[in-house]
Amino acid sequence: MRNNHGMWTALIALSLTVAGCAEVQRAAEDAARQSGNPRLAGAIHGAGNVVGSLLPIGYEEESSIGQAMALQVVARYGGVVDQPELVRYVNLVGRAVADTSDRPDIPYRVAILDHESINAFAVPAGYIFVTRGLLRQIRNEAELAAVLGHEIAHVSEKHILDVIQRSKRLAGVTEAGLSYATSNPAAFKGVIDGAVKKLLDEGLDQEKETDADMVGEVFAARVGYDAGAYVGLLMRLRDLKGDDRALFKTHPNFSARIDAVQKTIRTKHLATSGVVLQERFSRMTKRV
Amino acid sequence: MTHPRSLGVLLIVLWTSVCLWGTVGWAETVYVQAKTAQLRAGKTSLDAVVGNVKFGESLEVVGREGSWMEVKTSAGARGWIFAGKTSTAKPAGGNDTLARLGQSMRGGDASATTASAGARGLDKASEGYANRTGVSSRDREVVDRMTAYQLPDQEVEEFLREGGLGEYAK
Repeated sequence: MRNNHGMWTALIALSLTVAGCAEVQRAAEDAARQSGNPRLAGAIHGAGNVVGSLLPIGYEEESSIGQAMALQVVARYGGVVDQPELVRYVNLVGRAVADTSDRPDIPYRVAILDHESINAFAVPAGYIFVTRGLLRQIRNEAELAAVLGHEIAHVSEKHILDVIQRSKRLAGVTEAGLSYATSNPAAFKGVIDGAVKKLLDEGLDQEKETDADMVGEVFAARVGYDAGAYVGLLMRLRDLKGDDRALFKTHPNFSARIDAVQKTIRTKHLATSGVVLQERFSRMTKRV
Repeated sequence: MTHPRSLGVLLIVLWTSVCLWGTVGWAETVYVQAKTAQLRAGKTSLDAVVGNVKFGESLEVVGREGSWMEVKTSAGARGWIFAGKTSTAKPAGGNDTLARLGQSMRGGDASATTASAGARGLDKASEGYANRTGVSSRDREVVDRMTAYQLPDQEVEEFLREGGLGEYAK
C-alpha cells in the first residue's frame, strides 16, 4: 500500500516535472524527505534529472561549454592575431551574416588564430575561429562571409551541442546541467575534452559539415553576398590541397562540397549576382 | 416554402461569412528573423524609419514589392520591412522553450554562469576547467576578451550601408 502511494507520488512529481514545474519537483522531494522517505525523494530527484538530461541544453550551459572549448582551441592553436582593425572587420562580416541567420539572438565573436594551417572552427555559444592561413586564401568579402556563414550554421544548428548531449549520456551525467560543472568538475572536463577531440582531431559527422555548407550559404546570400563566391573558394582550395579524402578527415572532400553548394544555389534560388566586395576585403586584410 | 426575404438574408449572411473567411484565410503572417529590424515609410533604405520590430515578432503582410514587404504589426503600426529580415516560419531562436525547460529541470546553477551576453570574465565552470587543464593566463585573457567583444548595432548598420548589403542593396 505504502509502495503504491509512493509510486503515485513519484508519477505525479514526474508529470509536474515534465510540465516544467521544477519548483514543485523540489517541493515534492523535500516533502518526501521530511516524511522519512529518502528513497522516494531520491527517486523524484533522479526522475527529474533523467527527463531533464533528455531535453536540449539551455543557453547558460551552452555558454560555459563554449568558453571551455574556446580555451582549448586557443591553447592548441597558439594564440590569436592581435590586430584590432582586422579583428573588427572579420567581426563586422560575422555580425552581418549572423544578424539575419536562423539564430540571431545570441552574441557571435570571431577571432583569428595565429596559425598557418587552413581551417575554421565554431564552438557553442557563438565563439568562431578562422586561421590566418585560411584568411590568406580568401580573396573577397563574399568568400569570407560564406566561411563565417558555415561556422555560424554549426552554432545555429547546434551541431556540437548534439555531440555534447551524447557524450554526457555516455559519461553517465544525468545530474543537473551546469551544477555538474562545479559539483563534478572531472565529469565536466571529460565532456569538454571529448567534444574538443571530436572538433579538432576527429571531425564532426560529414553530414553536419555538408549541412553547415548548405545552411551557411543561405545565410550569406540572405544578407546580399554573391552565392557563387563560396564555390570559387572551394575550387581554389581543391586545387591547392587536392581531393584526397584521407587528408580531410574533418570534412567531406572538396568535390562533394562543391556539388552540394551548387545544388543549394539552384534549389534555393540564391542570387549569384550579389556583392563580392573585393576592394574592401583587400584593404582591410592587407596585413594578414 | 421559404420566404424570399429570409432567403435573401441567408444569402447576405453567407456572402459576408465567405468574405470574412477569405480575409482571415488569406492574411499572410511572417516573423522577424533578424537581431534588429526597422519599419520604414517606403520600400527603400532611404525612407524614414517609422518603427522598430523585435526578433520573433509576428507581422501581417499587406503588400510586396521587390525585396520589400509592407506589413502591419499586432499593435496596428504599418511600414515596409526588408524581406531578408523575415521568415515564414516562427524562429526558435537561441533559448527556445524546450531548452529553457531543460535548464530549469536540470536545476541550472545560475551561480555557475555569470557571463551574460558581452559580459567580461570567464564563468565559474570554465574558470574551473581552465585551472584543471592548466590553460595559460594569456589564453584565458584571449577568451575573456572574446567574451567581452561587442560591436554597437550602429556600426554594423553603417558597415551594411557602406557595402550595399541587406536593405542597402543597390
